[in-house]
Amino acid sequence: MAIPVATLVLFITIMLSGNYLKQPLGTEDNVPEAIEGIIKNVMQDNWGEVETETENLEAAWKKVVGRIQFSLERDEINYFTTNLARLQGAILARDKSSALIELKEAYNHWENLGK
Amino acid sequence: MAEGLVVIVRGIIGFFTLLIFARLLGKEQISQLTFFDYVLGITIGSIASELTVDLSSRAWSHWVGLATWAALGFLLEIITLRWRFAAKFIEGEPTIVIMNGKIMENALKKMQLRVSDILQLLRNKDVFDLQQVDFAVLEPNGQLSVLKKPEHRNLTPKDMNIATEATGISTELIYDGIIIEENLRQLNKDKKWLADELKKHGLEDASEAFIVTLNPAGSLYIDKYEDHIKKITDIGDYKGPY
Repeated sequence: MAIPVATLVLFITIMLSGNYLKQPLGTEDNVPEAIEGIIKNVMQDNWGEVETETENLEAAWKKVVGRIQFSLERDEINYFTTNLARLQGAILARDKSSALIELKEAYNHWENLGK
Repeated sequence: MAEGLVVIVRGIIGFFTLLIFARLLGKEQISQLTFFDYVLGITIGSIASELTVDLSSRAWSHWVGLATWAALGFLLEIITLRWRFAAKFIEGEPTIVIMNGKIMENALKKMQLRVSDILQLLRNKDVFDLQQVDFAVLEPNGQLSVLKKPEHRNLTPKDMNIATEATGISTELIYDGIIIEENLRQLNKDKKWLADELKKHGLEDASEAFIVTLNPAGSLYIDKYEDHIKKITDIGDYKGPY
């Protein structure tokens, strides 16, 4: 009886680990902080800074996806990735409102991950 | 996102969860399943497959669905074990479809069965003539239990007043060439006794035997690896790849 119970506990741990694993484990994988930083710079029209921070956000997101892919829904993950692609377009066009829309939506998907 | 890898991990979770839940839900064989058990099995299996390949939602939500269905199935099993009234409602009850040799048309109608269905079930029980049937009962698992008229029942040693010896279950002493020492100990025999018995049957070593069993009457069944059968009967009706 001990082995089946231990197996089920392990499975439940894997399935519920996403909510904890999406939280930052270091300084380079803090997705919500990166989003907030980009929003601040977009508001101040610091486009050079926005570009650098967006690259950092993408790198942080890739790290997080590697950890959460087994436990969280693919749809939210894909939506977030799409937001990042659209954000890059908005940055190229220096389109402040589109960039803010994408960033806010990305933040919303981040919040919804694992809910 | 490595979808293939995610599906493998979720497949492992689904497979072993299903295995554990299936063990928990009991040991009934397919032939003993009621219609509800059958539907329950299909639903649980379907949820497990969704858990594996439906990556659009979290594995957890599917897993909770799987656990809920299994828990409810388990609960129903306990209820039907302890509460006869509920068992009657949930699992159904046996229905007499032939009584004193007469087909119960109303019972058939109630269960939406045709006479041809009953005839088929009778044939499955080696009954080809309705005149032989005294009683036939349709069980909740869909099987037909048949009581033949006394004049058509099989003759038994008791009918003939023939004395019989008690029989029991044979015990395996050698399986696949390996002596099962635990069984030998339970029968208060030792390896020397077994070696002597094997020698009497022309075997030098236990490894020459595929299977050896001992029945309660004390006689051995021995099957060697070498069967020395020159012409093997082939029951296949057409040539195939093997």
